[in-house]
Amino acid sequence: MSNSIKLFFRESWLLMVSAVFFGALLAVANAAWAPKIAQNEINKFSNLAKALLPEAMKFEPLQNKDKIIIDLGDGKTAGADVRKGLDAAGNCIGWAFLAEGSGFADKIKLVVTADAGFTKLNGFGVQQCSETPGFGDKITIKNGFYQAQYKQAPAGKFTLTKIGDSKKIDSEIVAITGATVTSQAVVNIMNTYVVQIKQQLQQKKLIGQ
Amino acid sequence: MTENQMTAWKAFRGGLWDEIPVLRLMLGLCPTMAVTTSVKGGLTMGLSVVFVLICSNVVVSMMRNLLKPHLRIMMFTLTIAAFVTIADMYLKAFQPVMSEKLGAYIPLIIVNCIIICRSEACAAKNGIWVSAVDGLAMGLGFTIVLCFLASIREILSTGCITFSETAVWTVLNPVDKGGWFTPWAAMAMPVGAFITLGLTLGAVNQLTKKKA
Repeated sequence: MSNSIKLFFRESWLLMVSAVFFGALLAVANAAWAPKIAQNEINKFSNLAKALLPEAMKFEPLQNKDKIIIDLGDGKTAGADVRKGLDAAGNCIGWAFLAEGSGFADKIKLVVTADAGFTKLNGFGVQQCSETPGFGDKITIKNGFYQAQYKQAPAGKFTLTKIGDSKKIDSEIVAITGATVTSQAVVNIMNTYVVQIKQQLQQKKLIGQ
Repeated sequence: MTENQMTAWKAFRGGLWDEIPVLRLMLGLCPTMAVTTSVKGGLTMGLSVVFVLICSNVVVSMMRNLLKPHLRIMMFTLTIAAFVTIADMYLKAFQPVMSEKLGAYIPLIIVNCIIICRSEACAAKNGIWVSAVDGLAMGLGFTIVLCFLASIREILSTGCITFSETAVWTVLNPVDKGGWFTPWAAMAMPVGAFITLGLTLGAVNQLTKKKA
């Protein structure tokens, strides 16, 4: 027994020492850079939301009792990061939230904003997207035809169509040519988050019926 | 000096031409295909690989006399993974846009064949100085090839090379900016990567073809 333990340590001591050393190295790097990484995420969210709700001075997270839980289907749920856009006087002038779902290549993360009554969307910005360059990544083009279809669109369910008038603002979204999967992915993300967040905000009496 | 050992000059020359990873050893082809849609992406990827190669080569070289044959791959992977995670965290903290653009390809440096190949072929058999030079040269060779391929693809797919929103070098004036050049969207897609890499490999093979 003692021989086998000796053999174990003789063979693996370098691996164990290295694991401890590299673990410590990563812990130091993480301690140094984790706040900066977290701040980058917050800044990106704020910048995207501010571009869509320019009057907002700050975006305040909801209180714990008002936390929104999204049903993602198949028994999965996720907490939604919903923030209240406040003007200089502290009045709520809109809502911003992070919505995510599967795209063609990888996960797509969107920052979506709506007006104070959650009746119309102010549009969306892209927090994370690895879709095909030249096709699916057209969802990232600010003021491109795809993003423009969500500006002032009713905050409800959307449907995707391949043929239609993209300039007409309604719940029908015209797909990007050659990127139907990505276009559908954005519609699915919107349909998952917008309706549920609206319903829960109404239930919590944070917006009117 | 045994037959496995090399000089710093040989290591340097090897990384930059004789054994340039993508074009001569045919290693690191996955990131080459994936990140060469823009020069900035290629450069960031290349410099990350330079950092990981130098650090992992130096550490492997330091522990080369202690390595057990059956544990060496595990040790290489542990070492490489630690430095790749540091590079990934650094990019997330200080180059968040590029970190997002490169996505999974930075963490995937862990399984990049070039790095484990150099640990095995050079660092595990040579001193620290030679291993560091080998890492630097191999990394620079990889970076140069990425930037070369990326510049061809980016110019043909957009007409210009974009370093930042304000620093754009227009090479072929594109139609959407009032010019004459119609960008080739295919060059930004995988097909563009295959065509560019294939033609470059053909040209290098032609250049280095030994005469009978």
